[in-house]
Amino acid sequence: MAAWSAELLAIAKARLVALGADLAQAPQEAQHALQSVHDALMTGPGVRAGTYIAILLLVGVAVEWLYWMYAYSPLRAALSMPAGSPREALRIGLRRLAFGAAGILLFTAATIGASAAFTWPPHVHGVVIAATLLLLVLRLSWIGVATVLTPDRPRLRLVPVAQAQVRWLAAGLMAALALLAFGRFLPPVLGEGVEQAQHVAGALRLAAYTLAALILFVGAFAFFGRARARAEGARPPLFPRSFPLALLVVAVYAVWLMHDRAAAVAAIAAIVIALQIGLRPTVYFYWGEEGGALPAIVLSLARFVVALAGVGAVALALDTPLSSLADSASPWIRIGLRLLGVAVLALLAHGVWIAIRSVVDHRLARIGPVDPHEPPNASSRLLTLLPLLRVTTAVLLLVLLVLCSLWALGIEITPLLAGAGVLGIALGFGAQALVRDIIAGIFYLADDAFRVGEYIEGAGNTKGNVERITLRSVALRHHNGPLHFVPYGALGSVRNTSRDWVIDKFNLPLPIDVESEKIRKMIKQIGEDMKQDAAIGPLMLEPLKGKLYRIDPGVKIFRCKFRSPPGKQFDVRANALKRIEAALRKMGVQFADGRQTVVVQNPG
Amino acid sequence: MGGSKTIRAVRLVSGLILITFVTCHLANLAIGMRSLAQMEAWRATLTVPWTTGAGQWLLAVAGTIHLSLGLYAVASRRSLTLSATDAAQLTLGLLTPPLLIAHVIALATANRVSPGFADNYGQILAVYWSFAPAYAFLQLFVVVVVWLHGAIGLYSWLVLQPIWRRIGGFVLPVLFALPILALLGFASAGQEVLDRLANDPAWRQMILDNVGKIAKVTRELAGLQNGLLQAYGLLVLLAFAIFGARVLRARLRPVEIAYDGGERAQGRYGLSVLEISLLNDVPHAHVCSGRGRCGTCRVRVDAGAQALSPVGDLERGTLERVGAAAGERLACQAHVLGAGVRVTRLLPAFADATAAQAPHDWAAGAAPHVSAKESA
Repeated sequence: MAAWSAELLAIAKARLVALGADLAQAPQEAQHALQSVHDALMTGPGVRAGTYIAILLLVGVAVEWLYWMYAYSPLRAALSMPAGSPREALRIGLRRLAFGAAGILLFTAATIGASAAFTWPPHVHGVVIAATLLLLVLRLSWIGVATVLTPDRPRLRLVPVAQAQVRWLAAGLMAALALLAFGRFLPPVLGEGVEQAQHVAGALRLAAYTLAALILFVGAFAFFGRARARAEGARPPLFPRSFPLALLVVAVYAVWLMHDRAAAVAAIAAIVIALQIGLRPTVYFYWGEEGGALPAIVLSLARFVVALAGVGAVALALDTPLSSLADSASPWIRIGLRLLGVAVLALLAHGVWIAIRSVVDHRLARIGPVDPHEPPNASSRLLTLLPLLRVTTAVLLLVLLVLCSLWALGIEITPLLAGAGVLGIALGFGAQALVRDIIAGIFYLADDAFRVGEYIEGAGNTKGNVERITLRSVALRHHNGPLHFVPYGALGSVRNTSRDWVIDKFNLPLPIDVESEKIRKMIKQIGEDMKQDAAIGPLMLEPLKGKLYRIDPGVKIFRCKFRSPPGKQFDVRANALKRIEAALRKMGVQFADGRQTVVVQNPG
Repeated sequence: MGGSKTIRAVRLVSGLILITFVTCHLANLAIGMRSLAQMEAWRATLTVPWTTGAGQWLLAVAGTIHLSLGLYAVASRRSLTLSATDAAQLTLGLLTPPLLIAHVIALATANRVSPGFADNYGQILAVYWSFAPAYAFLQLFVVVVVWLHGAIGLYSWLVLQPIWRRIGGFVLPVLFALPILALLGFASAGQEVLDRLANDPAWRQMILDNVGKIAKVTRELAGLQNGLLQAYGLLVLLAFAIFGARVLRARLRPVEIAYDGGERAQGRYGLSVLEISLLNDVPHAHVCSGRGRCGTCRVRVDAGAQALSPVGDLERGTLERVGAAAGERLACQAHVLGAGVRVTRLLPAFADATAAQAPHDWAAGAAPHVSAKESA
């Protein structure tokens, strides 16, 4: 450890010394380099190179002009669309980005392509291509900044920044990006195009990166500290985001001072961290009003994509041969790749789990607690199925995840599965009834045979209100109180008396001498009255009707019937009988009393 | 950019004269791709007419008028709501005179000191390619700047004409092929000249003598050149100062206008309706960027018509051409001088040049835009 630290410090020291040398020798060298560039330009080949550059510029402008002739109207149409929500603004912004980037790429492609047609003086071609790429990066940065911050169009702004700040923010960001691009592209041009300008290149790079770091450092304090304080208002104070951001900038800059390659990795890590900090508010800014699963899924996906992109960028920055990475001999890299695979699987499982769980919870919350006095409806079926689904999914996902992770880690899962298979057979014989119950239960639920709250009668004299449905059995509350636990396998054919409607019939024995038609009309009238009644009316699906059914010695039997919702027939019948009795009394008719009247005929 | 129809026409004609000259000049250079001799032979047809007394006067007058009208346009602006192309054209236009001054003075001096020397492409190219490459770089820069300025102007005038539908397909390629070919001709002829300089010492000596003579006089004329540059700089500054003063004065008098769909926008006294739209990010069609040519920015004035500047001849002409109804104005020409203005935009904000080429096809286009705005 000590040796390693000493080695690291030695590298850093050497680098700092080199930077110091760059700074010391740059002015002298710059003078020399400028002179040689001037000398090279002021010749026939120099003029020729200048002519070619002018031609390239015109070619690029012409191609981009042609493109904008067609693209300008659609772009304006997109920009003038009303952006009701941040997400619409995002869509418009993406379109704007695509249009602008396409134009810039066309310009670059045309310029670089055309440059191949000329025979250039030595070194110039490389300089021209590098300059074109620098222009590309600068313009792309500008389009990116303009799309995200939209200083001129507050309507389409993609991040919540106040109009007063946005111009400064855009200018600062653009300046930093431009400086970084200059630092990245200019020194190689100087080193390649003009010999012996290494020190100038180094000094320029140092200046550019230092300025960029300064701007970012100041910007972190100027924008993130204040904006947060203002937005939070009365809320309890949180740790200001400006500090970690500024710290990241300083850390990357310090690493760069020590080591060039490591700085690229540090910069990528810093960007990934900054993005991870900003991701949650950004995602909720766009998808927050949606509620439900979407923001959580988008957030976890975005986090993962950012992290993965960071890993890819680091690999690129370190010039890692990606294709041979998988065959790499180093155990650490192999393990790292496998862990990455497991992380991908975990993310996928997490996403699916969040999606299903929040959809289920959302639905359950919307249905609300079930009211046992209400008749069961479609939502009570959901109430039985959804929790079941949630648990099943969780178990399934977990099992799948574990198996896939083991597989991704390179652990053979075939014996495991085979072992599980043998165990499964053994268990299967024992758990035959259990399996039968579960499968029968699935079909009961799929057939919608009963729901929580319904009164059913099954095989073997089991009857009662369905209180609970589980994976294996149903709990029935008998009307006298006992609770039956009936496994689905033993439930048999189910008679559900709580579905849709019931028909109730009852008899009225009346004396033989009543006028049948009058009684029929009276019952019908009562039926109409009950239909009008506020309390009973809604319970009458079909009105009460009665007709002469049978004539027995001394008795006329009238049969009445009506249709009502399940479970309500008893109330309705009682009410009907009450009314019929009152009406009969009013008519002076009594119920048949069962007494037989014997009439003795005197022959004399 | 206010201005009457006459001023507009004069500026257009002067610009057309100048671009015709540049076209001839560049075409002559392009012939250099075949050979220096051909270039020289075509000189009589393409370039010589412009160097006669009448030609020079025409160019001088057109150049002066075009420049002063350009500066006048800057001075009479009310805001900096420029489209990207307009900004590019303005910058390129302002760059042109200082770049050309050196060229013109050098040629004039050369003609005075050693008559006939500058009337030969071979000799001039030799100077550029071998003896004073700095001038060559200046020339390359001027070609790009002037041609882009002219191309933007020509394009934005032509694209609004109905004829563009037929000629547009080949005008644009020509517009860019010409300077590219000219530069290729310049390069190819330059190579020829360099070869001759290497193989023909007598010719080389002759040019060297002439260059020495001219350079001496030119150094004496540096004062004149600087004076001209300073005068030009002052003129530009003056134009911008007038513009700035107007903006500062109007800043004290804010006005507000209302749009269809309930949008409102604030501006300064004297800004046009279109400028207020653009400053406030209100979607508003403006194909010609407020020159009063295209008619796509037209609005129906629902209230406060008396608070708008009166209709000028330019606006009346465009309104008649596009078949506008009574009570409609061009938003770019109607300046807001008071409160209570309410307007309805009549064309969707994405209206393009076809709306100017065939205004009646777009008359129905207003409806979906308005309903989209209202439903939003």
